[in-house]
Amino acid sequence: MDPNNPSPSGGLKIPKLPDIKIPNLPKITVTRKQALTAAGVAVILVAVAVIGGTILFDYTEDQQVSAFRSHISASEADLFRVYGKISTYMRTSTTDLSVAECDAHVREFAAIARYGRDVTAYHRQIVAADAVPAAYAGAQSAYVRALDNLNRAFTYWLSAAGAYDVRDYSAADRNLAEADKAWREYAAAIADYDRELRAAEEGAEVPPA
Amino acid sequence: MEWKDVIPVVAGAAVILVVALVVKPALLGEPIGFGSRGTVPVGDPPVYVPSSPVPTPTPIPDDGEVYTRNFRWTAIDGGVQTTEVTVPKALFGEHRKTPRFSDYASWGRYALASSDRPFLEDLARRIAPPAANPDAEYFRLMNLVFFVQQIPYDNDENATSYIEGALPRYAMYKGGGVEYPKYPVETLVDGRGDCEDAAILMAGLLDALGYDTVLLRYSDHMALGIRMGEFNPYYARYTPRYFTYGGQHYYYVEGTDFEWWNVSTNSTAIWGKPRAIGDAAGTGLPSVQSETPQIVPLRYVPEPKEYRISPARLPGNGV
Repeated sequence: MDPNNPSPSGGLKIPKLPDIKIPNLPKITVTRKQALTAAGVAVILVAVAVIGGTILFDYTEDQQVSAFRSHISASEADLFRVYGKISTYMRTSTTDLSVAECDAHVREFAAIARYGRDVTAYHRQIVAADAVPAAYAGAQSAYVRALDNLNRAFTYWLSAAGAYDVRDYSAADRNLAEADKAWREYAAAIADYDRELRAAEEGAEVPPA
Repeated sequence: MEWKDVIPVVAGAAVILVVALVVKPALLGEPIGFGSRGTVPVGDPPVYVPSSPVPTPTPIPDDGEVYTRNFRWTAIDGGVQTTEVTVPKALFGEHRKTPRFSDYASWGRYALASSDRPFLEDLARRIAPPAANPDAEYFRLMNLVFFVQQIPYDNDENATSYIEGALPRYAMYKGGGVEYPKYPVETLVDGRGDCEDAAILMAGLLDALGYDTVLLRYSDHMALGIRMGEFNPYYARYTPRYFTYGGQHYYYVEGTDFEWWNVSTNSTAIWGKPRAIGDAAGTGLPSVQSETPQIVPLRYVPEPKEYRISPARLPGNGV
């Protein structure tokens, strides 16, 4: 039987497999120059990995404190802008105002309250999102609490202005009393913040609030 | 080293940087790139939006029709005075169509209504003309007080208290009774009113003359408080009563309780004795004797006690 032409009948025929020739692999020869090149590449690779890892996992503490500082600074600048408007409002004499002028005066109060509420909410988001070193966590928390209290105080002011608009002066007075309380809590939180900051930067012990 | 050896290193570095600066921040919700981890997308900083200015008051349509009322009262010198008051019907009708404030604390607004102000200034000048002699100031003040005290008293629930002969649409039903605080010109046109109407009218007239007044609200009464330094005249047979508000003394002034008698049994003519400043003892109302009134300023604006920003030290040893 011709192995290349198996007969269609008379049993199973296995075709002949061609001969496979495995070529000889070239022999690897490493020169000194090539070895040094590979080692250099490995060293560079490790260096890049270390630098990338540093970027990947953390900013330095200085960078974090610097960002925290700039955010507190921006917040303080805006808060003092609000305070400038409050001071002007409080200095205005209401002794001889007409009813229309009283209404306009209270609209100004509401505008300041709205501005203060928005400013505190804005900076609260930024400061709360700051990644700070562990030593600064207490100061960050106290400052966020201060902004929260201030935000509440301005919200009560807005409610007082709203109560004035519907001529419910008793409700306006109640809201002002709540706002006064929130302002005092804000002042206490700022005192806490200063204490925590001193502890973080000077290593002083934080006395109980 | 050849270029083909450097390419894998550069590619590896690029992958690491992409992971560090793009993939990881994207996964953790942090800002992409070299920005601070603390910076979150919060939009633009808020800006101050100033309030609207004082609006120009809407003029009351003047169709020429007026209410004319004649008043006759005994002045402080014992002489009988008369005066005529005219009020546009349109202004009076506008007030009658205005809802009332249920909170007593806002009733000072009635006394200061800008639409009534010209009429009150004119009336105050006629009752108490300006005097060159400062000693006459007390007589001017008392003439105004006496004028108001002698306007007949009528309860809010009585239809006779209103020229229409019926309770106004916005009369309020409070505490089992009716309350309808009148604008000053309503009291003048009706020619009568109750305690709060008298106190409001008196406050409006005195404010037009430059006096600082408040309303004194008791559980069942309303009177006026007028700011004075020390008031203790030698002729007073009572201890003048005052209340302290905002560090100032406000002396009690009754607006309605004019003591009167018929001149004779068969006469409808009356004579009487007005209540002086500080005289709270003679009103006969237990509430006035025993209660400390709620003080209602004519001009109310919200004034917070606390409003100071405390400067915060900056981190990094900054101030």
